[in-house]
Amino acid sequence: MALSEWVRESRKYILGTIILVLVLAFIPFIIGFDQYLLLILSTAAIFAVFVVAWNIIGGYAGQLDLGAFAYIALGGIVAAQLLVVYNITPWIGMFVGAGVSAVLAAAIGYPTFRFGIKEVWYALLTAALVVILNNIFHLPEVLGSLDHYLPPANGWYYLKFPVYENIYWFILAMLAIVVFINLWVSKSKVGYYLRAIREDELAAEALGIDVRKYKLEALVLYAAILGFMGYVYIVIAGTYSYHTFDSPHSIAIAIMGIIGGLGSIAGALTSAITLKVVEEYLRASIGATIPGIHLLIYGLLLIIIGIFKPDGLAGIYESLKKRRTSGRKKISGGGNP
Amino acid sequence: MMDPILVTNNVLDGLLMGLLYSLVALGLALIFGVMDIINFAHGDFVMIGAYTAWLLAMAFWVDPSVTAIITVPLFFIIGIGIYKLVIEPVLGAEPLIQIAVTVGLGYVFQNIALALWHAEPKSFPAPWLNFSISAGGITLSVAKLIAGGISIISLYLIHYMLTKTKFGLAVRATSANREVAPLMGINVKKVYAITFGIGTALTALGAALYMSWGQTNPYLGQSFSLLSWVIVAMGGLGGVIGVLYSGLIVGVLEALGSTFITPSARLAVVYLAFFLLLWFRPRGLFARR
Amino acid sequence: MSGGEEILKVENVVKRFGGITAVNRVSFNVRKGEILGLIGPNGAGKTTLFNCITGVYRPEEGRIVFLGEDITGLQPHVIARKGIVRTWQKVRPFKKMTVLDTVTVGALLRTNSVTEAKRKAEDILKFIEFPEDKFEVMGKEITLIEHKLVDLARAIATEPTLLLLDEVAAGLRPNEMERLASILKKVNKERNLTMIVVEHVMRFVMGLSQRMIVMHEGEKIAEGTPQEIANNPRVIEAYLGTKPL
Ligand SMILES: Nc1ncnc2c1ncn2[C@@H]1O[C@H](COP(=O)(O)OP(=O)(O)OP(=O)(O)O)[C@@H](O)[C@H]1O
Ligand SMILES: [Mg+2]
Repeated sequence: MALSEWVRESRKYILGTIILVLVLAFIPFIIGFDQYLLLILSTAAIFAVFVVAWNIIGGYAGQLDLGAFAYIALGGIVAAQLLVVYNITPWIGMFVGAGVSAVLAAAIGYPTFRFGIKEVWYALLTAALVVILNNIFHLPEVLGSLDHYLPPANGWYYLKFPVYENIYWFILAMLAIVVFINLWVSKSKVGYYLRAIREDELAAEALGIDVRKYKLEALVLYAAILGFMGYVYIVIAGTYSYHTFDSPHSIAIAIMGIIGGLGSIAGALTSAITLKVVEEYLRASIGATIPGIHLLIYGLLLIIIGIFKPDGLAGIYESLKKRRTSGRKKISGGGNP
Repeated sequence: MMDPILVTNNVLDGLLMGLLYSLVALGLALIFGVMDIINFAHGDFVMIGAYTAWLLAMAFWVDPSVTAIITVPLFFIIGIGIYKLVIEPVLGAEPLIQIAVTVGLGYVFQNIALALWHAEPKSFPAPWLNFSISAGGITLSVAKLIAGGISIISLYLIHYMLTKTKFGLAVRATSANREVAPLMGINVKKVYAITFGIGTALTALGAALYMSWGQTNPYLGQSFSLLSWVIVAMGGLGGVIGVLYSGLIVGVLEALGSTFITPSARLAVVYLAFFLLLWFRPRGLFARR
Repeated sequence: MSGGEEILKVENVVKRFGGITAVNRVSFNVRKGEILGLIGPNGAGKTTLFNCITGVYRPEEGRIVFLGEDITGLQPHVIARKGIVRTWQKVRPFKKMTVLDTVTVGALLRTNSVTEAKRKAEDILKFIEFPEDKFEVMGKEITLIEHKLVDLARAIATEPTLLLLDEVAAGLRPNEMERLASILKKVNKERNLTMIVVEHVMRFVMGLSQRMIVMHEGEKIAEGTPQEIANNPRVIEAYLGTKPL
C-alpha cells in the first residue's frame, strides 16, 4: 500500500493516535514527575505496546498466541548481553534482539503453520515455548539461576536513566509507531487477508490466499516488535534472568488483547492501559492485604466478557457508535427511502 | 556415563509420576472428548484440590491421600456447579472464547489461593507415607507407589465405566455424535454436567495423592494444565489406554530430562517432545483411527 | 459454443474415505465459455469432486489438467490463483467482516490496491443485484440466502477462469431462482466465465446448462445435453432409487 494512500485512508486514526500519545506524554508534568507513578505509567505503556503488537497475530490473524514473553525475553536478553559483554549500545542491540526473536518466530512458525496447527494446539505450543526457553536459559551454561544486571551507567547510549520520564516518553514514541504499524496492516491487503484467515482458513485459501505465508508474516512481525521492546522491558524491570521468560504475563497479554476485542487497536490500547493502571493501583492499595486481587478481577472480567460480550471492549464501542448513529438518523427524520 | 541403577531408579520414579499424570489428564481428556470444551483451568482444579487436601489433612491430622474420601465427592459437586455457571454458556463457542473463559477461571482460582494462602509453598509436615523403600539398589517412595497403584485402579474403573455401563454408553454416544445422541433418549446436558463433574473429581483425587509427598503453591496448576494437554495431544483421544500410555511417556521423559540434563530442564524436554509430536503426529500417538 | 477449447480435463479421478469411494474413476472435460451442469442424488460425490478439483482433497488416483497444466494435488490457494474458484454448499461466511470487505478479499487476488479492490467489489455486488443497503452489514447479520450471494460475489471477484458453484440456488424461492439464473447467464456471457453448476433443482440446472454430467454413487453415469439427460433411463433409475443396471 502506498504511503499517501495509507495516510489518506487512516488520517482520522493517525491524528487520534498522535493526540492520545501527546496527552499521555504530558501526564508527567501533571503528576509532578512522581517517579513511582511514572514507573506505573511506563509499565502500562509498554504493556500497551505488547498488546497492540499481539493484536497482529491474535486479533487480525486470529491465532491465540500465549508466547509473548518468549520473544520479549529473548530479544531483551540478547540486547542486554550485547551491552553487558561487548558494550554494544542497545540502539544496535535492540535491532539484533528483534532480529533474533523474528528468526525464532520463523523457525517455530514455519513447521507449525505448515502442519496446520491451530486453535488450542497453537495456544499450547506457544505457552510451552515460553517454558522451554525459561528452562534452557536456566541452565548454568546460559544464564543460570542468578539475576543479571545492566551496567550501572546511565544515558541515551544505554537507553537507561536515573529517572523514568525519558524511558516513558521513549515507550510512548514506540507505542505510536506500533499503532501505526497496526493501522497500516489493518488497512492494507495483508490486513484483509489476515482477517479472512481468522474468519475461515479454508474459505480464505480457496480465494487464493497463501494462508501459511500470511500467518507466518504476522507472527514474525509480532515477534520482531516484541523482541525490539524486550530491552526496554528489562530496563523497567531492573534485572533479567530466566524468569524474564514469564508464562503468566504472556497469558496476561493475550487476555488484555481479548478483553480489548480482537482486531481492535482502540480496544487493545484501552484494555492494556486501564487494566495495567488498575492492576498497579489495586496492588498498591489493597494488594498488600489481599495479594493477587487485581488478577482475580482480571479473571472475573475475562469470564464475564467471554460469556456475555465476546467482542470485548471493541464490541461495546461498536454498539455505542451504532446507538449514536441510529439516534442521529431518527432526529434527521429517517434514513434511506 | 550415568550410573545405570540411578537411571533405572529415575525411570521407575518417572513411571509412577506418569500414572498420576494419566489420572489427572484423563479428566481433561473426558471433558475435551465428550463436550469439546477447551479447558485451560484443568490444572488449577488440581491446585485447589491440593490446598483442600492439605487443609483437611492438617485439620484432621490424617495423611493428605486419605482426604480424597471427602475431596473427590466434593469436587464432583463443585465441578457440576462450575459447569453450570461458566462452562455451559460457552458450549459450542469459538475456541478462543472458551480458552479465554477457562483461563479467566484459572486466574480466579490462582488468585483466590494467593489471597488465602499466599505464595509460600504448603506441604504436609508429617511424612507418614513420604518415606522410601529400597531393594537391589532401587529406592522408591512409598507415597508414590500408593499413588501409582490408586491411579491404575481409578483408570481401570473409568475404563470399565466407559465401556461396560449404561452411563458410559451415553458418554460415548454423546462424544461420537452430539446431534444424534438426544434422539437415542440421551440427556446430553446431563451427560455433560456429570462428565465435567467426573473430570474435576479426578483432579481432586490426583491432588490428594500428590500431597502425600508434594507441595502446592498458587501456580501448581500451570504445569499440570500444560502436562495434561500434552498427554491429551499424545493420547489423541484414544480412550483410557491412550491416556495411560501417554502419561507414562511424559513421566519417563521428565525423568530422563531430569537425569541427563538437570531437574530444572525436565519440562523443556517434555515440551520439546510435544512440539515434535504436534508437528509430525498431529493426531497423536494412540489415535483410534 | 460447443466447439470451445477444453480448459479442464478430469481424468479417472478417485477419492476414497475409509471404506467408501466417494468419487470413482470420474473423467470429463470442460469447454471454454460453457455452463456445465453436474447433478446426482445426495451422496453422489459432487462436492467431493469439487474438493478434488480445487485442491481441498488430493485424489488417490487420476489427474486434473487445467489449461494444459497438471494441477493434481496442488494447494487450494495455488489453484485459485491459476483461475479455479468455487462456492461452498455449506456456507463459510466471514462473520466478523462486512459484506463489502468479504468481497474485497476476493478482489485482492488480482490487485494489491485495497481501494481498487473495494471498487471492484462494489461493482460485482451491484452486478449480482445484492441489496446496496447491506454492503456494510457484518457477515453474521445477513441471511443464509444472502450468504450464498456473497459467496458467489467473492468468488467472481477473484476473476476466475472457471467457477464451480455448489448448490448456490438451494433454498431460493422459484422467482429468486429465476433471477439468479439470469444473473449467472449474464456473468457467463459478459465475463466469459466458464462454470460448473451443481444443483438439485432440475428446472434450474436444465435451464442454465448447455451440457450436463450425472453422478451416482461416485461414478459418472451419463453425459449429454439437458435434453438427452432428461430422457436417459440410467439417470431416471438413479433418481428413482433403483440400482442402475
Ligand atoms: N470428509 C469426509 N469424510 C468421510 N466421508 C465423506 C467426507 N466427505 C464426503 N464423504 C462421503 O462421500 C460421499 C460423497 O459425498 P459428497 O458430499 O461428495 O456428495 P454430494 O454429491 O455432494 O451430495 P449432496 O448432494 O448431498 O451434497 C458421501 O457418502 C459422503 O458421506
Ligand atoms: Mg454436495
